[in-house]
Amino acid sequence: MIELHLLILVIVVSFGFVFSYLAMKEHDLLKALALSSVQSTFFALGFYILAAPDIVLAYLAIAVGAYTALVILAISKTERYEVGE
Amino acid sequence: MKRDILVAVSLLVAFLFIAYAVTVKNVLGLGGAELRPLGEFYLSNAFAHEGLTSHSPEVVTAIVWNYRGFDTLFETFVFFLAIMGALSVLRLTDEQEKLVRELEATMPHRQMDLIVRATTKLVVIMIIAISASIALHGHLTPGGGFQGGSAMAVAALLLFAAFSKFTLERKGLTLKHTISAYAVGLALILATVLAPVFLYNGKVLEINLLPGEMGLFNLDVGEYLAVAFGFLTVFLVLGIPEWVFKVVLRGELND
Repeated sequence: MIELHLLILVIVVSFGFVFSYLAMKEHDLLKALALSSVQSTFFALGFYILAAPDIVLAYLAIAVGAYTALVILAISKTERYEVGE
Repeated sequence: MKRDILVAVSLLVAFLFIAYAVTVKNVLGLGGAELRPLGEFYLSNAFAHEGLTSHSPEVVTAIVWNYRGFDTLFETFVFFLAIMGALSVLRLTDEQEKLVRELEATMPHRQMDLIVRATTKLVVIMIIAISASIALHGHLTPGGGFQGGSAMAVAALLLFAAFSKFTLERKGLTLKHTISAYAVGLALILATVLAPVFLYNGKVLEINLLPGEMGLFNLDVGEYLAVAFGFLTVFLVLGIPEWVFKVVLRGELND
């Protein structure tokens, strides 16, 4: 029958899924970035449940720290709001 | 808006349905599958303590260094190329660097308030301690040079945000220093990789240098330095404000 850690995995990954959808639909790029780092936190939890601590350590530092900072620097050189449609 | 919610919910339902089908109903036949021959080989041979081995008790590190050494070496090369690309696209001459420093000094000196600065100092010390512990026994426990190095880069980024780039540069974290530290890390990695060739006519990446489980310590330190200061170099170059760059480029046009 279904095991508890698989259930937690499904819940965590679906939260990550929801947040990645929200990040795609967001027109304020800084908010989208915050949403995407929340999504990465959930995916990191998922990796931990899948017993991959090496990936968790690299993924958290890159996705929440370095990637966010790089994109903030990139946004600071353009505009904050996505226009179009 | 209503359409968005509908799309999101239907995608989520599809995802949950696939997850249920794969895990519980075992549609793809992944659950309960027998161990494949490759996995069996790695499981029985990862903890090797004879012959040419990294002596690592951590199975990921053991596989990476016993069987996939060139992966990590080429990964370091790719990282090096990326940083050199960023540096050569955004390069400045000595005079232009001086101009950038003068222009940045005229900017209003902004930093966050006292509470944020004090907390950041504490948190940064903790992050640096943890990154050192991840990196320096990365050959024994999960983690390693890359993970610890990127955690260290995050600590420096927190300092960028709470204080300012200018404050840090005044304290000595300049581009020249970060590039030198990066070069030291790379030199350590290259020395470890090439040492067997010169010491006992071995092949590249024969990694039995230090005795026993110490074997990978120097690689950990090298990768830690290289990754942390590689990231910092890129952030220092990208952190130059846009208007300063525009002034510098305009000066280049007028010359």
